[in-house]
Amino acid sequence: MAKSHSVWTSIRFWRQSAAWVTGFAVVLLILLTFDTMRQIKMGGKRVPSPSVINNHIDYKYSKKRGHEVPVIGDKEPFFGKQWSDEEAAALLHKGKLTSQAKNCMNCHTLLGNGAYYAPDLTKAWLDPKWKQMMPMVGAKTKEEAIAKFLQHPEMYPTHERRMPNLKITPDEAKALVAFLKHMSAIDTNGFPRGFSKGVKEFEAGGTYAH
Amino acid sequence: MLTSIKNNNLQFESQKLGLMYFRVALILFGAQLLMGLIAAIQFMYPEFLYGLFDFSVARMVHINALVVWMLYAMIGAVYYMLPDETGIEAVGIGLGKLAFWVLTAAVTVVVLVYIFIQIGPGKESTIWFINEGREYIEAPRWADIGIVVVVLIFYYNVFFTFMKGKKTGVMTVMVANLLALAGLYLAGMFFTDNISMDQYWWWWVIHLWVEATWEVFVGTLAAYALIKIIDAKREIVEMWLWIEVLMLFGSGILGLGHHYFWIGTPEYWWEIGALFSALEPVPLVAMFVHVLYDWGKEQGAHGDRPAIKNGPAMAWIVTNAFGNFLGAGIWGFFHTLPQVNIYTHGTQFTAAHGHLAFFGAYATILIGMMYLGVQGAYGVERMKATFKSKMAIFLITFGVLGMTVALTIAGYEQVLVERAELGGGWDAFFTAQALPWMKQAMTWRTIMGVVTFIGFVYLVLDLLTIGKESQKNS
Amino acid sequence: MLFEPFTDVYPSFWGWLNQGPLTLTLFLHTVIVLPMFWLYFKEKKRLEQEK
Ligand code: HEC
Ligand code: HEM
Ligand code: HEM
Ligand SMILES: [Fe+2]
Repeated sequence: MAKSHSVWTSIRFWRQSAAWVTGFAVVLLILLTFDTMRQIKMGGKRVPSPSVINNHIDYKYSKKRGHEVPVIGDKEPFFGKQWSDEEAAALLHKGKLTSQAKNCMNCHTLLGNGAYYAPDLTKAWLDPKWKQMMPMVGAKTKEEAIAKFLQHPEMYPTHERRMPNLKITPDEAKALVAFLKHMSAIDTNGFPRGFSKGVKEFEAGGTYAH
Repeated sequence: MLTSIKNNNLQFESQKLGLMYFRVALILFGAQLLMGLIAAIQFMYPEFLYGLFDFSVARMVHINALVVWMLYAMIGAVYYMLPDETGIEAVGIGLGKLAFWVLTAAVTVVVLVYIFIQIGPGKESTIWFINEGREYIEAPRWADIGIVVVVLIFYYNVFFTFMKGKKTGVMTVMVANLLALAGLYLAGMFFTDNISMDQYWWWWVIHLWVEATWEVFVGTLAAYALIKIIDAKREIVEMWLWIEVLMLFGSGILGLGHHYFWIGTPEYWWEIGALFSALEPVPLVAMFVHVLYDWGKEQGAHGDRPAIKNGPAMAWIVTNAFGNFLGAGIWGFFHTLPQVNIYTHGTQFTAAHGHLAFFGAYATILIGMMYLGVQGAYGVERMKATFKSKMAIFLITFGVLGMTVALTIAGYEQVLVERAELGGGWDAFFTAQALPWMKQAMTWRTIMGVVTFIGFVYLVLDLLTIGKESQKNS
Repeated sequence: MLFEPFTDVYPSFWGWLNQGPLTLTLFLHTVIVLPMFWLYFKEKKRLEQEK
């Protein structure tokens, strides 16, 4: 075969190229991972420290970034008090553990990853619907409303598809709310885009014609 | 397959062990489909098993059974090809068999706990003993450690058999790739309070499995199978294999970035994820061309004698070439650019891609390997497809394609209405879920799921009987 | 505009390479492909010598 002298059919060439490309991609991934670890460690600008639960959180369009970013505002009480750094960290720890123990991710998405049976929880803390829910569950604050809902979701159905009772204790519910609030303060590069911009439409009964 | 447990024609214990893995894989595949059907029905009738066997439980078992049956079939395939490629028996076959039973016992316990205990209190003990609550790798920590031990035994067997026997290019790739595949599991074994960090490493396992190491695994299996089924020339097959490794790892490793667009990670991942993963379909096209090319060439090369030694296995491998390209390549590319992904992220569109890709890229070729195993166990020279083989491949493929179409339509609707029009959120989600188009899609998904399941029944019947039938006919 | 002002949260080497459309991946792809030319010509020379 005349062709056997072509580099394109040389196994050795392809083997060496495969080794080079794979090795280089791995090294790059490791370098990028180091840089990303630095940027997403807790307490930084992308993933805030647990004590962010003591602050008001908003999600606003940033001209500079070209998408919405979390805005961490003034102090506000969380379950009626300010939480010390240690208390907040312990609460978040429990919340994250509970989210795994109850398997939230196999119904909901968190940061967009998970299951598609129930709403994305990335910005659930900021959902305007909680204003409506507060009188329904008999709570004075948003955090209380969420905590009550999580303990007895079967009692407050708002849609045909209900969340089941996952035997969440009051303490676990509190911790989960902290987890949700913390997650809503993570800088997700603008996901979800235009969060809940359809709310005005709902309030007008699903139409702009009024 | 079952009738051949005791006396079969296989020369090597390693191949017999491979068949044991195939059997468990098939059972778990059936369990996977049943759980999928439960979850699909819950989308239509949310009160179905509500509070008893909730969607989260059905889904967890659905996707865990999926991952585990595929790993079983992969281990089975390796034990099966090992003596063929190296020319010798696996070095530690007794240990290998022990590991099989330990793993199977552990899997049984894990599944029973998933089904009957389901969830636990928000404490470390739940993560150690009930479930870890992280999609695909929910297995509790004790099982993780058990899996690591079993995989070490498996790897010991593969590595030292390779070192002792003949060293083919196919096995060289296999041994190196398996090390990476097994090592990656470790990235998913720790707990952190930081959800961004959590998902960063979670994707190392999920993505670097399905879009790098598993793909290379499939390329290796296809190389072995083509040599075995149609006498493809080894030098050509091995050359293609290296090209595939080059392209798969070259695009797939940094393609990981397409999962780092929105989880708190820096913006530079937009560009890295987009452009490397956009190249991921290229090797899939190459693999497709390669399989079809070899198939066409070998067809004419043997005069009147049919070139294909195992009809159903070859049919599944051709389906693999096509399904991999379609499910992973095309459906993956659809949503891999951040400009699109910001809307499609976490919608039914992802589920459409997930189904077609896992089926097309992995289920197909692993089923093909099971047919190869049956052929070996019955010592049949040429195994032709039966009516049941044809029904199985047609119904399963048609069913999964149908589910994918339904989910794609559901995904479009969700993307446009929930995300683009209403901006996401609680009410936006349910507005989209309540639209007739979504409901129709969910109904069609269930119907097509039933079609898939009927195809699966044919598959099981065929695997159980085809060996004997071919023996009689030859 | 080929080069855009830096907008990400943290300044970093990778973010800096990312300041224009495609510059980061163009750079990385180039770095990956270039050595393959060298591998190609090395192999070509070897094959010719064998002949
Ligand atoms: C079996 C599936 C399932 C599981 C598991 C589940 N949820 Fe839900 N969840 C739902 C459904 C369905 C709804 C919508 C309920 C409604 O609208 O009436 C919902 C609604 C919610 C809401 C309000 C929706 C929003 O957008 O704000 C929150 C918050 C929530 N769940 C949090 C959680 C948390 C935290 C966990 C884990 C501890 C969890 N869920 C586990 C199914 C589930
Ligand atoms: C055989 C190979 C593949 C398999 C088995 C596979 C499987 C999956 C699965 C199951 C998910 C969903 C994960 C979850 O539950 O969150 C997913 C997500 C994704 N896949 Fe693939 N995939 C493959 C190849 C590809 C390729 C080649 C591309 C791109 C070209 C791709 C692009 C994506 C993207 C962008 C997502 C994220 C979806 C989202 O944002 O929600 N995949 N894949
Ligand atoms: C009887 C047929 C099947 C039915 C009815 C079914 C149903 C389902 C349902 C309802 C979900 C949950 C989706 C959601 O969260 O909204 C799901 C997820 C999933 N299924 Fe299936 N399934 C079937 C077969 C399969 C097969 C054959 C495969 C692969 C080989 C598969 C792979 C997956 C994967 C990877 C996911 C996770 C997807 C994601 O997160 O994006 N399923 N399935
Ligand atoms: Fe991926």
